[in-house]
Order: sequence, then structure tokens, then C-alpha cells
Amino acid sequence: MNNSMPDSSTILRETWNNGTTLLAYPNLTSPAVYFTGYMQPGSIADPDEMHGLASFTTDMLMTGTKHLNFQQLHDKIESIGASLSLSTGHLSTTFFGQCLREDLETIWSLLVEVIQEPAFTEKQFKRVRNQILTGIAIQNQDTAEMASQAFNRALYGSHPYAHPEIGYAQTVSGIRLEQLESFHANHYGPNGLVMAVCGGIEPEVAREIFSRTLGTWQNNTQSPPETLPPFTPPASSIRSHVALEGKNQSDLIIGVPAPKTVSRDYQVCSIGNSILGQYGMMGRIGKVVREKAGLAYEVSSHLGAGIGPTAWTIVAGVNPDNLEKAIALLKQELVRFCSEPVTEQELQDVKTQAMGRLPLSLETNAGIASILVSIERYGYSLDHLHQLPSIIESITAEEILASARRYWDLDKLVIASAGKALE
Amino acid sequence: MPINLNHNLHQFQLKNGLRVMLKEIHTAPVTSTWIWYGIGSRNELPGKTGLSHWVEHMQFKGTRKYTGEDIDNLVSRVGGYANAFTSSDWTTYFETMPSAHLHATLELEADRMVNSLFDPEEVETERTVILSEREGSENYPEFRLDEAVQLHSFQSHPYRNEVLGSKEDLIGITRDDLYQHYRNYYQPANAILCIAGDISPHTVLEEVENLFGGIQSVPMNRSIPIPEKTLNHGDLVEMEGPGEANYLEIAWRCPAASDPDFFAYTIIESLLSGPSSLNMFGSGSINNRTSRLYQALVEEDYAASVFGDLSANIDPGVYKVFATIQPDGNPGAALKIIDEQIHQITSSELSIREIERAIKQARALFAYSSENITNQGFWMGYASSFADYQWVAEYLTRLSSVTPRQVLKTAQKYLREDQRVVGVYRASNTQEGS
Repeated sequence: MNNSMPDSSTILRETWNNGTTLLAYPNLTSPAVYFTGYMQPGSIADPDEMHGLASFTTDMLMTGTKHLNFQQLHDKIESIGASLSLSTGHLSTTFFGQCLREDLETIWSLLVEVIQEPAFTEKQFKRVRNQILTGIAIQNQDTAEMASQAFNRALYGSHPYAHPEIGYAQTVSGIRLEQLESFHANHYGPNGLVMAVCGGIEPEVAREIFSRTLGTWQNNTQSPPETLPPFTPPASSIRSHVALEGKNQSDLIIGVPAPKTVSRDYQVCSIGNSILGQYGMMGRIGKVVREKAGLAYEVSSHLGAGIGPTAWTIVAGVNPDNLEKAIALLKQELVRFCSEPVTEQELQDVKTQAMGRLPLSLETNAGIASILVSIERYGYSLDHLHQLPSIIESITAEEILASARRYWDLDKLVIASAGKALE
Repeated sequence: MPINLNHNLHQFQLKNGLRVMLKEIHTAPVTSTWIWYGIGSRNELPGKTGLSHWVEHMQFKGTRKYTGEDIDNLVSRVGGYANAFTSSDWTTYFETMPSAHLHATLELEADRMVNSLFDPEEVETERTVILSEREGSENYPEFRLDEAVQLHSFQSHPYRNEVLGSKEDLIGITRDDLYQHYRNYYQPANAILCIAGDISPHTVLEEVENLFGGIQSVPMNRSIPIPEKTLNHGDLVEMEGPGEANYLEIAWRCPAASDPDFFAYTIIESLLSGPSSLNMFGSGSINNRTSRLYQALVEEDYAASVFGDLSANIDPGVYKVFATIQPDGNPGAALKIIDEQIHQITSSELSIREIERAIKQARALFAYSSENITNQGFWMGYASSFADYQWVAEYLTRLSSVTPRQVLKTAQKYLREDQRVVGVYRASNTQEGS
């Protein structure tokens, strides 16, 4: 890997007539290649009575194609030590692949075949449905997952983001094979597909491989991208708890709507978030809840990123007897965060951390490919990595305080937990 | 492209016994510093389980020179990341940083090798943090089942104990227990310092000499357990609890990592349950959908998922297979299918193609992780903690020399029905068949 940052002089970016975009960056010392990207179908396209449809369709893709059955498909991938996977989020379906560089064409061609020509057999349909239902059954007993689902229900209300991408046992059980086929035919296509590749391959060679296999793909029945409905945040605080039997720890989430990812506010809040619950041993809240009170092993804050609405959250795992005490301590920290500016030392520490971390995030092919995808998703300039330091440097303590007050409205907190029943 | 892990490797030993391994990698201005101590739950005595892991936590609480906050700042301020891990055989601390800050990490590691305070108040706070860590794990039926299976897999060897320690022991351990454990095991003669990345070896060695050379090693009172080479009985562990899915876990004895049988066992694992990565930092993995157990269990609807885990340890450990069984599934039927697969692998030789495939998979996993300087630092100490660095450097060559005959003999030696532990977790609200 060379020591310079990817930028407009070194990233190959190309959009083809069918709406597909490629980004490629060379790391010629690497014997491997990593690619990732996203395409249009996401779970927001699920009809109300069929939550889980998009995710189920994606799970079916890796079960065989019109030319390769399950065994043949996976034998081709695993016998050369490669990996290939897809997963569906709310807005899009992401794909990932990794292989030795001599195998890139083989693995990429398999991904294209999987996306374009899935088999959708009855046998695999039943198996995948059982696997999803088992996954949901396991999630239903997972305190972290149940707290997260309760939080999303409370925060997003009637917005599609209130529902888990995987769906619910009842909706998944009702989905039929032909509905999956129809969803695939109407939503999968080249329009809006973005792919990024990094590793031991010249970008021009990657372009030749990728354009030969995807450049001519057309799907005239591909639906236009789903429009996200407007999001109305809760008008007052909400407290929700999911009681689960036999759990020794409760999971807790406290949060509010986050700023739009492509905004100055987001950059400001990102630095503020690091001070609140990331820096060192999980920031200020780590000091108070873990280091001083000893209430939790895990406590941290997270600023969500995405095209649609996201959340700014604090998450913690605590003994059920300490749940209310932890909530009170975290609220106290939020009051402090919203009432006085962060110190100059805190600000300086987090800024130098953010700058120093940049080269470390470029250490691997996967790290670089992931940055390329973010650049495309959020419409950043190819020189974004060069611009980032000056953006970070310009953020002030007063801006962080103003943003904290704007987003952490303490009268409209969403608090969700899961674990032992509350007394 | 062959991967030569000995390239640019420099090894030294200081007079006080500290082993030093340096690896020059100039692909990025980054260094990863690891210090490994030869202490883990393997050396703990009954009633004091969890000491090693707790000491690891206390190493972030401060010395006379550094407060806990200083330790956080030292790494975080420059964008680095740091962590520590405790296993049954070792405890390790690492910092991956921009290379200009290597000296600061060496100063910290030299200082906390001997000067940590173990403040009594901090000990008490950390007691509840560790209990919370344990409670978080106990939320998962898989953890509870695994802990029970592990306990039945050894008669008295400490590998039977959870690294976190038992709840009873965590409540009873005192500050003096912790400090004594620390002073006994944290010393140069029981440590390996590994640095990978953008370094000049001679300059770094000089710094290491200056910082660590003056620390004296003293005689160590080490508890060394007697290895348990076989599982003497076929145990069944049955549990029941809340949930909807059922779980099945089987543990067989596996040889020590330094045993020649270990490489044939690695081929068995790859074939039965899929290849494992030797990486600590997720630089790639390979699915197991063509493994024999996935094909027999998941493809035939006896389980929703299956995976395996072959541990590389100083003493003989266990190879485990975990299967998640659907809410309406039957763990007994899944066990029967596993038995059939074990019968096949213990009654006929593999083809050369199957071995070649396992080797190609291992080569790919090495290639993925070689991008990552942190992994390169990890490998040096990891392999040295149970064998030596050549174990990892020659890993692919040794796998390549395994023959179908060796695989068959190894399978017959270890995968025995009368020498295994079977664990079943039945969810109380499922509608299992039988």
C-alpha cells in the first residue's frame, strides 16, 4: 500500500450508461482483492403485510443460480478460499467479496450470476424460510436486539425504519416463493448499483472485468428507487421495556434523532459524540458509568449515518437492579453535555484522534473499499479525505454545545430496554 | 504469491529474559506493539478463577507515572487503538499507532510491567464491571452451554474453567490476590515483546534495551497443570432454559498446537466444519457451506447453522462443533447425523483434492490478514506463546505435507464416541419433536 491517500488523481470512477458506477483503487502490494457495493432494493420496499420480503429475497440469491445448484455455487467460492455475501438494509442491499487477486474474475462473475439469475427453488425456499424463522426466534430472546427493536419502534413510529429488515415471524411465514421471484424481477437491476474495489489489481483491469460482466446489464422492469416517507420525531419522551425471562443483564438504549449525515451538523456532532461516549475508554459516559460507578462493562454512544433518518444513541448493558441508576447517571451526563461547552483539551484530543485514525482506516483493502462506497453514497468529492482534516480542525466547542442542545432534547428522549421485567 | 513471514524478522533476547521480535513492514506509517505474558487461566488455582483476566483490566487503571486517563490518552490522542485479551494460555496487550509514537507505547508497557498500582477502590469498581461482563455473556444460551461442556471436558485441568472466572470466585477474590498474581507473572522472563510495522530494528532494539533492560526477573511460582491427553468418558450435559431455539455442542479432545497431529486435525476441521482463521482482527473469512457437517445438517434441515472451533493451545484442548437447532428441531436427530459424518471421516481416507482445497483456503486467509500490520504483530506473539514463530511461518508448508493416511489416523485417534462431551440446551418454549 502506498502512503498517500486515495483521491481524484488515484481513484478510478466511472458511471456507465445503464446507471452502474465503479470506483477502483490499486493496492498492488496486496495478493488479495476486496470489493463491496450496494444496489437498490431495500426493506422499505416491503409491503406492510410482508415485512422481511426484501431480506428474504436476498437470502435466496446465494442458494443457487439457473446454472449452479447450492453445492456447485459454494464449492466454486470456498474451494479457492474466497467469500461472497449479500445483506439487505432499509434502503439498499450491500454485497461483499474477497479473494486472491488471480480469482477476482471468477468471484465477480459468480456475484453477477447470483444477482441476475437466481434459481429460486422450492427446496431452498423452505430451507431459507426455516433459517430466517430460527434467526428471528433467537433474536426474540436477545436483550440487545429486543432493546434495539423497541427503540426503533418508539423513535420511528409509522416510518418504515420502525421495522427490522429481517421482518417478523408472522410476516415471513406468509411470504410465498413467487412473491420473492416477483420482488427480484421488479427491484434488482443495474440502475443505482455502486461497486468499489481495492487490492492487488490495476484499476483499468478491474474496469475491464466489471464492465464486461455488468456494463451491458439491462432490466426494463426495474422499479424506480423507493421514496422515503417523511419522518416525524416523537413529540415527547417515550419509555419502553421488553421483559425477557432468565436474563442476567438488561440492555439499554437512550437516543434521539441524529442530524443528516451530509451536513456540517453531522461533522460537529461526530466530534461531540466521540467526547460523549467513544474517546479512550468510551468517553465521558464510560468514565461515569463504567470507570467510577462500575455499573457496566459496555457503555458507549453512537451517531448513526445513512441516507434516511438515523439516531444518536447511548447503549449500555447493565445488571437489571442497576438499570434505573444507569439511566439517571446517563441523563446527568446528557444535561452536562447540553449545558456547558466541552473543554479545549477534550476537543483537541478528539480532533487529533480523528486525524491520526485516518491512516489506520486505510490499512486494509476492506477499509479503503468501504471509504470509496461512502464517498459515492453521500456524494462527497473524491478528494474528501484531503478535505476532512480542515473540516475537523474548524469545529469549535461552541458549535458542539449548540448541536448538542439542538439534537439532545432531554424532554423528548426515547429510552428502550430489554431484560428482566421491571418492578 | 508465496507469503514469507520470516522476511525482515529480527529476534533478540535481553539479559533479563525478555524475548523481542521485530518485523519491518514499511507499507504504511504504522506500528503495532504487542506484549505477551505467559499467564492465563491455565495457571489459575481452584477458588481463584478469573485472576488473569481481572489483572488485565487493572493494567488500564494506572501506575505511579500514568493515571488510567493518561493510558487512554496516550493511544487515543494520536488516533491509535489499543486493547488487551486474556486466554487460557496467555494475556496480551497491544497498541497500533502512527509509527512516530512507538516510543510512548514502549515506555507505557515497560512501566506497567512492574508499576501498576492496583488501587483498592479501583479493584472494587472493576469487580462489578467484570461481573457485568460475565452477566452479559450469561444472557446467551450458547455461552451457558459452552461453559458447561468445557467444564465436563477436563477432569481437573484449568482449561475446564471459563477465562472470566466463576461468579463465586469473582466475588471472593481480593486486591492482594490480584497484586500477588501480577507481581508473580508480570516480569521480563515471562514476556515476549513483538513490534511489527514501520520501524528501524536497531533503533527500536536500543530503545527496548533502555526501557526494559533494567527490569529484573525474579523466580516465578508457576502453577503448571498436568495435560489431559484423552477425554476419559463420554459425558452428556443437558440444560433447559428460556428461548425458542435449541443448541447442540460436541467437544472432542484435540492435541496441543505443537503436536504434529495438530496439522492433520486442522485439515479435519476444515473438511468437517469449515476453515478457521488464525487472525484476531477479522481480515477475512471463508464460509463453511460446503463443509460436510453443513451439508449434512443444514442442507438436510437438521440444523439452522453449524460451525466448529479448533483451539491452538499449549496443552491438549478441545475441538468443538456447535449447531443451532430450529425451534421445532430435534438435537438428538442432529447428533445422529454428526455421528454418521464422524464415522465416514474415521473409516476412509480423504482425497488429495480435499487436502489441497484446505491448503488453498488457508493460503487465502493468510493473504487477507497479511494486509493488516496489527495481525502481523499478533501472529508473532500468538504462535510463540504455545510453540514458536516458525509454527505460523511454516503453517502452510506443514499443512501441505499432511497425507490422507495421517488425516485418517488422527481422526481415528481423537474423534471417538467414547471420548467426547455432548451438550444439549433445550429451550423451554419450543415444540421439539422428541
